[in-house]
Parts: sequence; C-alpha cells; structure tokens
Amino acid sequence: MSEKILTRNIDKEPSLEVYEAGGGYQALGKTLRSRTPGEVIEIVKKSGLRGRGGAGFPTGLKWSFMPKEKDPARPHYLLNNADESEPGTFKDRLLMERDPHLVVESTMLSGYAMQADICFIYIRGEYVHAANTLERAIAEATDKGYIGKNILGSGWNCELVLHRGAGAYICGEETALMSSLEGDRGYPRIKPPFPAASGVWGMPTTINNTETLACVPFIVERGAEWFAGIGNDEKNSGPKLYCLSGHVKRPGVYEEDMGFPLMELIHGLGGGMLHDDRPLKACIPGGISVPVLRAEDCEVDLDFDSLAKKGSALGSAGIMVMDSSTCMVEALLRTTNFFAHESCGQCTPCREGCGWMKRILTRILNGEASSKDLDLLLDVANHIEGQTICALGDAAAWPVQSYLKRFREEFLQKCRS
Amino acid sequence: MVGPEFEQRVDVIVARYPAPKAALLPVLWEVQKRDGWIECEAEAWVAERLGVSAAHVHGAVTFYTMYKQRPMGKYHIQICTTLSCMLRGCDELTEHLRNKLGIREGEVTPDGKFSLVRVECLGSCGTAPMFQLNDDYHENLTLEKVDRLLDGLP
Amino acid sequence: MPKLTIDGREIEVAPGTTVLQAALSQGREVPHYCYHPGLSIAGNCRMCLVEVEKAPKLVIACATPVADGMVVNTRNERVKAAQASIMEFLLINHPLDCTICDQAGECRLQEYAVEYGTGKSRYEDPKVLFSKAVEIGDRVMLDQERCIQCSRCTRFCEEVTGTGELAFFQRGERTMIGAYPGRPLNNPYSANVVDICPVGALTLREFRFQSRVWYLKNTPSICAGCARGCNVMVSVGKQQELMTTTGQFDDRIKRVVPRVNEAVNGHWMCDEGRLSYRRELAAGRVATAQAPAGSELDWHEATRQAAGWLKTAALAGRAAAIFSTRLVSETYFAWHKLFTGLGRVRIGVHGILRGEDDNLLIRADKGANSRGAEWILGQTEDSQAILEAAGRGEIDTLLVFGDALDPEDTRAIDEGTRGKVEHLIYVGPFLDATARAASLLLPAAAWSETAGSLVNFEGRVQWIRRCHRPRGEGRPGWRIAADLAQHAAVELPDWSSTADVLQSLADSVEPFRGMTESRLGLLGISAEPRTAATA
Repeated sequence: MSEKILTRNIDKEPSLEVYEAGGGYQALGKTLRSRTPGEVIEIVKKSGLRGRGGAGFPTGLKWSFMPKEKDPARPHYLLNNADESEPGTFKDRLLMERDPHLVVESTMLSGYAMQADICFIYIRGEYVHAANTLERAIAEATDKGYIGKNILGSGWNCELVLHRGAGAYICGEETALMSSLEGDRGYPRIKPPFPAASGVWGMPTTINNTETLACVPFIVERGAEWFAGIGNDEKNSGPKLYCLSGHVKRPGVYEEDMGFPLMELIHGLGGGMLHDDRPLKACIPGGISVPVLRAEDCEVDLDFDSLAKKGSALGSAGIMVMDSSTCMVEALLRTTNFFAHESCGQCTPCREGCGWMKRILTRILNGEASSKDLDLLLDVANHIEGQTICALGDAAAWPVQSYLKRFREEFLQKCRS
Repeated sequence: MVGPEFEQRVDVIVARYPAPKAALLPVLWEVQKRDGWIECEAEAWVAERLGVSAAHVHGAVTFYTMYKQRPMGKYHIQICTTLSCMLRGCDELTEHLRNKLGIREGEVTPDGKFSLVRVECLGSCGTAPMFQLNDDYHENLTLEKVDRLLDGLP
Repeated sequence: MPKLTIDGREIEVAPGTTVLQAALSQGREVPHYCYHPGLSIAGNCRMCLVEVEKAPKLVIACATPVADGMVVNTRNERVKAAQASIMEFLLINHPLDCTICDQAGECRLQEYAVEYGTGKSRYEDPKVLFSKAVEIGDRVMLDQERCIQCSRCTRFCEEVTGTGELAFFQRGERTMIGAYPGRPLNNPYSANVVDICPVGALTLREFRFQSRVWYLKNTPSICAGCARGCNVMVSVGKQQELMTTTGQFDDRIKRVVPRVNEAVNGHWMCDEGRLSYRRELAAGRVATAQAPAGSELDWHEATRQAAGWLKTAALAGRAAAIFSTRLVSETYFAWHKLFTGLGRVRIGVHGILRGEDDNLLIRADKGANSRGAEWILGQTEDSQAILEAAGRGEIDTLLVFGDALDPEDTRAIDEGTRGKVEHLIYVGPFLDATARAASLLLPAAAWSETAGSLVNFEGRVQWIRRCHRPRGEGRPGWRIAADLAQHAAVELPDWSSTADVLQSLADSVEPFRGMTESRLGLLGISAEPRTAATA
C-alpha cells in the first residue's frame, strides 16, 4: 500500500490544528453543506464497506435499516463501539490515541447520516490514556463548532459523549453495549427487535466499530468507487488495519489494502518468526474467536471471503502467530478460560458450557482425561454453538471445534490410553 | 459522606444522558476515583441518586471487573494473561511478580503498596508481555524492566 | 390474521402472537422456564428452542413472532437434541437436592429432565457451589445453588412491584441471585417469586418442609383477605393419607397460592392474603354451641334459645345484628330473610378498613364481601350506630356474626356492648373477644370450610369452595339461619346446599340474576351495575 489512509496522522501531534492542517473536518463540512443523510448512506453502501469489529456486516446495509423519515418524538443514536476487547486486537486503540480527531470526525459524520441526536463513543474502561486523549479532542472539536448546536450552520444539533466501560468483553457485542450504556449489566439482548427499530432507550440506534467509522470521511471525500477499488474485490474493499502479535519479530498494527497476504504479513512486514529455529505452527487470523489455521493453511489473503473459504474468518483482524514451541492444548485452555471468564452468564449453554469445557481441558492438559473426553468436549462445544443469545457462545465453540479438528493428535497425546 | 463538590460532578455527568440510570458506570468511576474502591454505602448512595435499587447497583459493581469491591494496593498491577501475552511470556512474568511482591493474585502486600490481579486481553498484544499499573500501560516488559519500574516507585 | 403450521397442524392466530403462545394455545407443550405470561420476555433459558423451516438456526419460540406461512416443528430430532442439551447444561451444576427440596413434585427441572433429558450425567467435574438456605426475605428462602438464572424473580421485582430487591450478582457461571445487604425481599408481594420460580431456589418459609406436594389436596377458591378477591388454590393435607405424630388426621391448610384470573388479580396475590390462613390456624375455634363460652350446649337447645331471644326482641323492636363484611352472600341472604320474618331487626355492617389501596392488588377495604352485604342486606346502618343504640339501652338482643380474624376488629364491638345488652349472641368460627363476652355462641364454618359467593369491589361475583371439613360442629351461616327459622316459625325455602341458597338469591336480588355455581365457575361473573333490590 503506497498511501496510508487510516494511519496517516499517527506520527503527528494529535491536536485539532494539525488535524485540520492535513485536511481534517473538510469531509464533515462538505457533507453537511451539500449532502443529505440518505445520500451519505448510499455512498457508504456503494463503497462495499464492511464492519471491522468482527462480524463483517455490510455497513451501508446496516445504516439503511434506520428510519428514513425522522419522527420528532423518537431521537436517533449513533454508537461508536470502541470497546475493543477481542484478544489479538489493538487497532482501534491506535486510532484513538494517535488520531483522536479522526475518531471524532468520523463519528459525527456517521451520526449525521444516521440523523443522530447524540453520538456516544463507548470505550473500554482499560483504555484510560485513549479516553483522556479523546476527551481533549472532543473539547477542542466542540469549541470549534463541530459538535453541539447548529453544527457548522447546518441546523443539525448533535452532542458527542464519551462513555467508559468498566471491564467486560461482552460489552463489545452491540446489544450488550446498549444494555451497558443504559446503566445495566452488559447483557446482550434477543433480536428482534433490532437496534435500528428499537435500540438504546427504545429508540433507533446504529452501532459501528471505530475502524469502520474511521473509513467514512475518506469514502465521502474520495468516493465510493475509490474505496471499492482498494483490495481484492468490491466485497472485500478498502484500507485495513491488521494487528500482528505472537511469535513474530515485529508485532504491531499494519495498514494495508484489504486482502493482504497472511504470509507476507508474518514474514515480510512482521519480520518473520520470533525465533528462526521455531517455524510457524498455527495462526489465528481474526482474533481469538475465529477458527485456528494450521501452518499449511496460511497461504491465504486476509479478507472476509478468502478466510471464510479457508474455514476461518477475518473477524477483528487480530492475527496471532504461534510457533512450534506452542502447546495447542494450553493455547486452547487459555482461550476457553477467556470465554468462561467473560461469559455474561445470561443464557444456559454459554454459562454452564464454557465452564464445563474449561474443566475438561484442564483435565486434558493435566493428563487426567481419556480420548472419550475429547468427544465430550467437542459435543459440548457443538451444543453451545447456535443455541445462545449472542455470538459469544459461538466464539467459545469455534476454537474448540477447530483446534480439535486440526490438532487432534496433540490432544490425543495428552490423554490416557 | 458525599460533599457538594462530588454531587456537582455527578450532576454534570447525569445531565449528559437521556435517562439518569445511564450515568451508572461513569458515576461509579467517580466513586472509585474518590475512594479507591466502591463500598456498600456508596452503592446505596448511587442507587438513590440515579433512581435505581441498591441491588441493581451492586449487580453492576460485581459484573464489571474494573470496579474494586475492596481496597487494593496503592499500585494495582493488572497483568494480562490472555493468549498473545501467554505466547510472549506473561506466565513467567506473573510468577516473577508473585515472588517479588510475595503475594498471589487477588492479594495486597502487607504494607498496602502493591496488589496483583490477572486480567484478560488489554488490547496491547503487539507489545506483549505487559501489564496495566493503575491507569497506565507498561509494555514490552522484561523481568529487568519490571524490577526497575517497581523498585523505583515511591 | 397470520396462519402458521405447528407440527403439521395449521392454525390461525392474532398478529403479535409468539410461536410459544400459539403452541400453548393449542395445548401443545413447548418446554420453557424463563417465559411467564405475566412478565416480559427474557429468552435466556433456551429451553423453548424450536425449528422454523427456512431459518438457519433453531429459534426460541417465546420470542419469535408468528409470521404468515411459518412452518414450525417442535418435536423432531433436531429439536429433541437441543432440548436434551439444554437439560444437560442445566443439570451439570444443579445440586441433587430433590430428596430435601420443597419443589419436588412440581419442579420443572424434574419434569423436563424426565421428558426431555438424556437420563444420565456425563459431568465428572466438581459442581460450582453457592450459598444454600439464605433468608432473602421474611417470607422467602433462597437456595442459590438450585437457581437456574431464569430471571423470573428479578423481572417480577422490577416490572410488577417496581421495587428491584433481587438482582443478579457476579458474572458467567458464578452469576447468582441476591439482595443488597440490609435490603431484603420484603415488599407486600414478595412471595409471588416463590410461585414463579420453576425450581426450588425460592421457597416459602412457611411451607418449608411442611408437606410433600403429592400429599396435598387442592381446591380452587377465593381469598377473603380484602375486597379484591384474588383467585387462589388452597392446599390442605390429604386426610386419608397423612396423620400427624399425635395420630390425628391432618387436613389443615398447608398453603395458598394464586390462580390466574386476568379480570381480578392477574397472576399474583399479596403476601398478607396468602398467609391469612395462618391466622385461622392460630385463633381458637368455637367448636360447639356454648352458653356462655366454655359451657357446651346441645345444638337444638342453643338454637331454640337464640331464636326465642331474637323473636321476642324483634317483636319489641329491640333486636339488632351486626355482620362482618367477610361473610358469603348466601349467609347475608338467609339471615336477612330470617330477620324480615321475625319482625323489626336493626342490621349493622361492620366494615374493616386498614391502610390504603395500593396500585396493584391490595384494597384498604378488608371486607371480602362488602358489596355483597350492600346489595343483599338492603337498609343497613353502620355498626357504630348499633353500638351507640346498645349503649343507650335500646337493644335487648344483639347478634354478632363475625368472621373476624383480627381481635381489634371486634374489640370495638365488645367494648360497646358489655353489660348493656341482655343477650349477646355470637355466631362465628373464632373464639375472639366478642365470643368470650357472648351469652350464647353458635359455631359457624370458617372461610375454607364452606362454599358461597363473594362480591369483590368491582362487582365481580366469585365462588369459594369448601376445602376441608369444618372444625367441630361449625355449620355454614345459612344453615344456622335455617335452624333458627324453624324454631321461630319463620318460613325459609327448603335449602339443602349453599348452591341452593344461591339459586334463591339469584331469583331475588337483581345483580345476582341468572347466577349459578357452575356459571360462576372458576373465574366468576361480573354483575352488571344494577341497583340491588330484594324480592
């Protein structure tokens, strides 16, 4: 990728002056002057932008679910999901800490498209530094008239509120985020109703990931075709932030065109394996929830459809690299521990099943299990999948299913005869 | 228990939201900022102020892991132990901290200076292993770095 | 009106109906825990997963609105596998308490385990443990381990009483129900959570370890605690099967729970009404005819005397009677006819007002049949007026008919009559202050020992039923009137049951027109607001 788009400002001072000097807030100004909210939705639809939070849902389509005609008795809300808690993922944090005004402008711009009365940025509680940085940027932007009453003389009133979470991965799930924002425990909600029909406080609501929203000012300024032309095809388009971690020499966030080859990320940009004598064993390409890939499966482009075809997913683009020193049983136990810890406990399969899987895996790791327990473990995972209120249940099941499928030998070795 | 200055800060927060209950998390943060943790009486005060039951507040405090239900150390070390940090040696780091501080996870040193907890992914996988000490992230840690950091704390 | 096909059968339902409601309306069981018709939809237990053709995953029936043309399967292999898996998940950490758990015999976990479970456990790890026997309120006991986190109780406290005492604490598999320290579950409707808890996590402290439910005989009736008339189910010990350690047959009331009546009490009842039967247990009973209290008298002799005193006093215009507002309509009707036949008897009604109407079920008027008294007794006075007349020496014979459970209710009467009235006749079930002061006592059947109709504050006529034999020689109120009528040569119809009396009542008093026991059924009838007129 020649030109950095999303990360163009990360080495600069995160101030309003610097942001504006680089052309910042032009997109917001032009849009408010010359485009209707409906037109903005159309542009985003045509761009092929897909959610970067994990689900990859087409953003323009999601936006089109909001009521076109605004009912004055029903306020609209736009929520920027900055709860980034998917293990392996740290891209939104980069934007928030190093280009907070991009986060602010993209939120307001998207809020305009949603005809929002208030935009909230729901940021995970642990990101204190990012929250402080964003608060400063919000204050600067408010002073300049980009937030508040009659924004840039457009007649549109919209507040921007930064709301801190307090330690719950589940609040990254959009309906749990809404529950948390309303002041409840972060419990996901059954759908229907869908947020666009009845979201926070029963009002039309749209929730999008921080990186997803960050693309919007560029789409609006440079056009849908421009965005759609970046990447492998129009269904997998735009610039993408990839988070590389684990056994590599240069972990970090890398911005490339959507569809960047995984091997090039690991061996090229990532500097190759951490230890030259420990080759690649496994890789999770999309954050801890997605199915694991064996080394031989890693010749793949990092986009939604290519990874889906390989039996995994792009998810939140958290690429976690494991070398030959990794014990897959331990890795899976650590993963399952995570889900057991983060399960909200609302629905039966996830609440009871994650703990059960954790305990079976512990026995396997300690050599206290038989091969029957592998079948049991898989069966438990299979009965969590598809039967829960939200995708955390699926997310807990997929690693178990994929590890057992692709690394079964290693698990068998740990079992008693 | 609650002074006018604190009440004013809470009023400002509550005014930002369409319904007072939504201010629950930020108000709990204010309580924790003031007291270092969230005690029972504080929960009752928050409940009254926001028009919810005390049980509701307690339910939130026990759901969200960052709210402390008892006093912790002056320096509260939250070490990330999820997968990417595990791959980069967080377990060894955790063991080192246990030995150095003489406490296990969930405990506070007798002089009240340090407490240690294990947490899930802090979104710093690219700079693993790491921990969060009070509000700040300390990344790319080595045993030496940790020693230097902790030994130098007042 | 959308049409859907459930397990091959096509039905039509109202728009907005959920698949679960549609199935249940056809008598088709779809197992569920967290759904309750009186509460919001939670969708968390996942027991009601069903297959909707064309949907990729199974869906929860409780939260899926019916769409026209929907095809639903609730009994195929896919659904059965899901149901078995949910049962398995629910049971892995559930304590094996059945042998000591009150819920046994009416426990959904037990029933569904048999119906939908696999029959054996694959769980070999330690169960997650919590606190057992937590006194979560004065009336409710909590066993945290038995809880299946269906959230019915938290939703009840949030949505019905608006008090929010119960909430979930912690997260994941450590999620548990609790109350804030120092703020226990003690609202006036707290015990309803026991009814709605599908398992033995929330149990009634008064019923704890009292009886196995299969040793209970259940009779539908109406609570007589206030003018609301909540529909209830009264459970008494099964006389033939259970004896106490003293060798007595035990058919006492063990518990009272609400019955659903959307027109009266929805799904709920208040704690005071629910536990009002215990006051009956505690009060001493008038077991036989006595004159005065303590000296037994033959029934025939007692009624002869009572009839004589009343007749003499009535002829001189110096007779009066005070009725409680808790008596069944048939009692009012029979006695009114008797008094009319005797001559001039001043009739007073002693109302019982306590507290205020709340915005849920509780009425300040604690008279379960105030309106019945109003419609049937015609021209009446307040009991105060009668007592004042008695104080002036204007009354020779005063008959007090009380189902008065609260001593304070009758203290006022007692203090007004002592020494001023020549003959104080007490007719009622309980040995209260008035009974002790009376010259003659005639035992009446208590609320749970007789049938009859009660009219609630909205004019709804509802039928109570006999749940067990009367204590001692207690008789229904109308029968006592009939016995006196015979001695006094007053002609009353030849009634042989309370239903017969209702028949006469229906023929004479306008609001009751057309009512019979079977028409009143389980849910009662709303009487049209016509003015009462006796024949």
